Amino acid sequence: MNENAKSRLMLILLRVLVYAILIFLTALCLFSFYLMIINATRSNAQLQAGFRLLPQEHFMDNLKNAWTDASINIPRGMLNSLFIALTSAALTTYFSALTAYGVHVYDFKGKNLVFTFIMAIMMIPAQVSAVGFVQMMNKLHLTNNYIPLIVPSIAAPVVFFYMKQYMESVLPLEIVEAARCDGSGEFRTFNTIILPIMKPAIAVQAIFSFVSSWNNYFIPALLLDKAEMKTVPIMIAQLRSADYSKFDMGKVYMFILLAILPVMLVYIILSKSIIKGVTSGSVKG
Amino acid sequence: MSLENRPSSGRRKSISYAKWGYIFILPFFLVYLVFTLVPQVLTIYNSFFTNYMDGLKQVGPDFVGLKNYVTLFTPNKQGIILILKYAGNTLILWLLGAIPQFAIALLLAVFFTSYRLNIKGQGFFKTVIYMPNLIMASAFSMLFFTLFSKVGPVNQLLQQTGLADKTIDFFVSKVTVRGLIALMNFLMWFGNTTIVLMAGIMGIDQTLFEAATIDGANAVKVFFRVTMPLLMPIFVYCLITAMIGGIQMFDVPQVLTNRLGMPDRTSFTLVMYLNNYLSTSKNYGMSGAISVIIFIITGILGGVVYKFLSAQYKDPVEKPRRVRKGARK
Amino acid sequence: MKKLIAIVLCLVMVVAAVACTSKPATETKTETKTETAAQGKVFNIYAWNEEFKGFFEKYYTVPEGVTVNWIINPSDGGVYQQKLDEALLNQANAADDEKVDMFLAEADYIGKYVNSDATMGIDAIGFKNADTMYKYTIQAATDDNGVCKGVSFQCCPSALIYRRSIAKDVLGTDDPDEVQSKLDSWEKFEAVAADAKAKGYYMTASFAETFRTFSNNCTMPWVDANKNLQFDPMINAWIEQTEKFIANGYTLDCGIWDDEKNQQMFADGKTMCFFGPAWYFNFCMGNAQDPEKGCSGDWAICEGPMAHFWGGTWLLAATGSDNAEMLKDIFETFTVNEDVCSKLVANEKQFPNNTKVVDKFANDATYGSEFLGGQNDILAFSKLTGNIKWENHTNYDQILNESLQSCLQEYFKGSVDKDTALATFYQKINETYPDIVTP
Repeated sequence: MNENAKSRLMLILLRVLVYAILIFLTALCLFSFYLMIINATRSNAQLQAGFRLLPQEHFMDNLKNAWTDASINIPRGMLNSLFIALTSAALTTYFSALTAYGVHVYDFKGKNLVFTFIMAIMMIPAQVSAVGFVQMMNKLHLTNNYIPLIVPSIAAPVVFFYMKQYMESVLPLEIVEAARCDGSGEFRTFNTIILPIMKPAIAVQAIFSFVSSWNNYFIPALLLDKAEMKTVPIMIAQLRSADYSKFDMGKVYMFILLAILPVMLVYIILSKSIIKGVTSGSVKG
Repeated sequence: MSLENRPSSGRRKSISYAKWGYIFILPFFLVYLVFTLVPQVLTIYNSFFTNYMDGLKQVGPDFVGLKNYVTLFTPNKQGIILILKYAGNTLILWLLGAIPQFAIALLLAVFFTSYRLNIKGQGFFKTVIYMPNLIMASAFSMLFFTLFSKVGPVNQLLQQTGLADKTIDFFVSKVTVRGLIALMNFLMWFGNTTIVLMAGIMGIDQTLFEAATIDGANAVKVFFRVTMPLLMPIFVYCLITAMIGGIQMFDVPQVLTNRLGMPDRTSFTLVMYLNNYLSTSKNYGMSGAISVIIFIITGILGGVVYKFLSAQYKDPVEKPRRVRKGARK
Repeated sequence: MKKLIAIVLCLVMVVAAVACTSKPATETKTETKTETAAQGKVFNIYAWNEEFKGFFEKYYTVPEGVTVNWIINPSDGGVYQQKLDEALLNQANAADDEKVDMFLAEADYIGKYVNSDATMGIDAIGFKNADTMYKYTIQAATDDNGVCKGVSFQCCPSALIYRRSIAKDVLGTDDPDEVQSKLDSWEKFEAVAADAKAKGYYMTASFAETFRTFSNNCTMPWVDANKNLQFDPMINAWIEQTEKFIANGYTLDCGIWDDEKNQQMFADGKTMCFFGPAWYFNFCMGNAQDPEKGCSGDWAICEGPMAHFWGGTWLLAATGSDNAEMLKDIFETFTVNEDVCSKLVANEKQFPNNTKVVDKFANDATYGSEFLGGQNDILAFSKLTGNIKWENHTNYDQILNESLQSCLQEYFKGSVDKDTALATFYQKINETYPDIVTP
């Protein structure tokens, strides 16, 4: 009885502690978002005047200025970014799972080599090969084209590695064999049985990939320069780099807010599907 | 685990499915070859050449052997080998952010998945802690820069509350600059790590936890004996990707310190170094050499961590593997 | 085998899907092409921001049938020059309608393009420099062989911009001529700085505020013929002066673009002097013009201790352009056309590259700048234009000037000693320009 009460007290204390930690971290995380939103409600002059914690009255002005800006077509940019990010996320998760499955399930010559190889290339920093990449795209006349932004996501070593690790912890080979007994083809097994099991992993990686594609500035900036092809980060950089001439920081913050909004929405939607996917526990079958 | 009760599965597998392995990995390698390998090989190849732009004039490419590497490892007039200094900076900056990142993420992942604690509002918390990861790193850094500038709200707040009697310049001290970079990296990545680790914990067969609890194991014991070993593959994944991210640390210090890595380049990272060579003069030779060095460092670190961690938790991790190996014969 | 076929088919479908996804890209491309298939019907302009584009669209009438493409890339991280360089190096192989016709360049790196084959002489397109253009703007666009490659639509003499109220308090007057007589040498400037300090003011708000005044008056370039880095006495003079100003508390230790400096432009700011050309107080002194906290009208300009200029945008003619006639038209519109140049003053608050128009405004008693308390800024600036010197420039100036300031800032702030700061400066040069020999 006493023991029980003690452990109950411990649990309550622990809960209080946990919530305290969570609230602290939440505040820390929300603070920057809060400031960004506040800043989007302030005029350039007000922003220059220093920080304030309360919103000011220029939200609609900034929104109007940003949305209808003659030279920076943010609605178009958002559409472009959305298209690239969605297709990249789809390709990267599907093909990484496929590749990981190929390495995980099948026994073939050079399999270990393949795994080690992918592990090794994962570590090559993207910065310098990016320049070689851009040179090559120039030669292939693939600038101002979305192919070099989308197709390379098929070969994403990091996502492959995650999928492989995930399969190692949740995917018993017996499932594959059972499917074979039922006469399912290899490809069908992957699409209809394995992919659903991999759903939580796919959802997680889809978010990561969507976000990194959405925020990607370095490569697209080097490849795209036609106004109608530009993505959101390029537009934002363009706005900020108005050098020494006039730039409206209120509008800049509004652009950043607009740039983040779709990502947040997608994330909130997908985060639900992750939880669902995990709790439905497709692994147990 | 029930897996071990199916010993006969091996024979069926002896029908060769090997070709499917090749087919399934084919798209990856084709795309990799075209879009990544060629530029990467070019990078390594470049590191043995003098090759840069002087204005609009191309200098080189002239083969110089290991000269670029020798230049990198030659001490400067102060007797400092700069690339080692910057590698050290990168490591310190990464560790300062990664240690709290993993400690907190692991803790939160366990809290969130604990039935006993039964945390309410999980969806909200998880959504929120992941959010900083959504902001473009450069925008986030700009925000921090304004926050902590001499006329920013943090200084205003410190003075209003009497915690500081005069303006603090956060960007003159090694400690504060590194601290800010670490804080930002922590904020940007701990939510991400939490979610990945959570997915890992939830992928673990729940009956194992139940069994352990019935056997009388307390929460701490369950964590170290059941959760951690089974989580190890995902944990190692997180650690290695974080390390790769860390060694490529660039946006945050670049924007926060306005490309300087001040004071005295103590927050100057390897990729910032690389970028300095690359950005104006397109010095493929030197930047190629730096990236090869980064590659080697990452390879060693990755290998060490992977070996070390998988050795420590050898038994539990090995178990399912052994089954698979048996099944494959 | 069937399954293999199925998989191959699947792969083909995926590839097809991928190809489809990229279709919008190719489609838009062909669309623009068909619109403008005829030769010389596309005019491509490379720029790093929208400033000139705004003037262009307002004041230049594009010939019928010609499409103007603006290729705008941010100068952040060198992206603008990188893309421009790629396009220029590729110019010979590019289709006529993809070729760069005109591009914009700034004072700090214009030499790189002027002294290259990527730009062509404006003589070749039939444009003659007019007498009404300021000499230095022509010099800047002229290569080592005397061939002029472009024009500037603005002239950027830089002035000492001071707060009238603080000047009254410190100097006893806010009249530009009288203030000038009390600040026309560095000795006087320093003496006044001490007075200002005694009254609780700062002379300047940034350690680098006076850098341009010194660096524009250097007697030798940053780099000699053998590519050795050299410190001009003027640069050393700037360092010495700044050391003194920091030590005595005459200036704040922030950079020229920092918020901390910008806050000094509010009504409650304590700084007397800023340095900059017309575009500086029009575009960068927003705080001073803030309706609530600003102090518009409490400002005036005078020459200060030394004549200098700052910035400026040039329009350069790209080799290989198939729109020579239009290039000539544009150059004429923004330099010779008095109507357009007048509008640049009246509507855009620019200081145009046309002495006739400048004289017209300078002699117009009814013209005055509200911001400068009614002072005729065109008149004030026009007096400075004669003293601007364009000499001793190198292609490396932008990075060298920027890096020197940023490295020495650490020294001025006291976080490193001078030798360490200079060592970092040399290191930065080695990283950026392998050819330059540093001490």
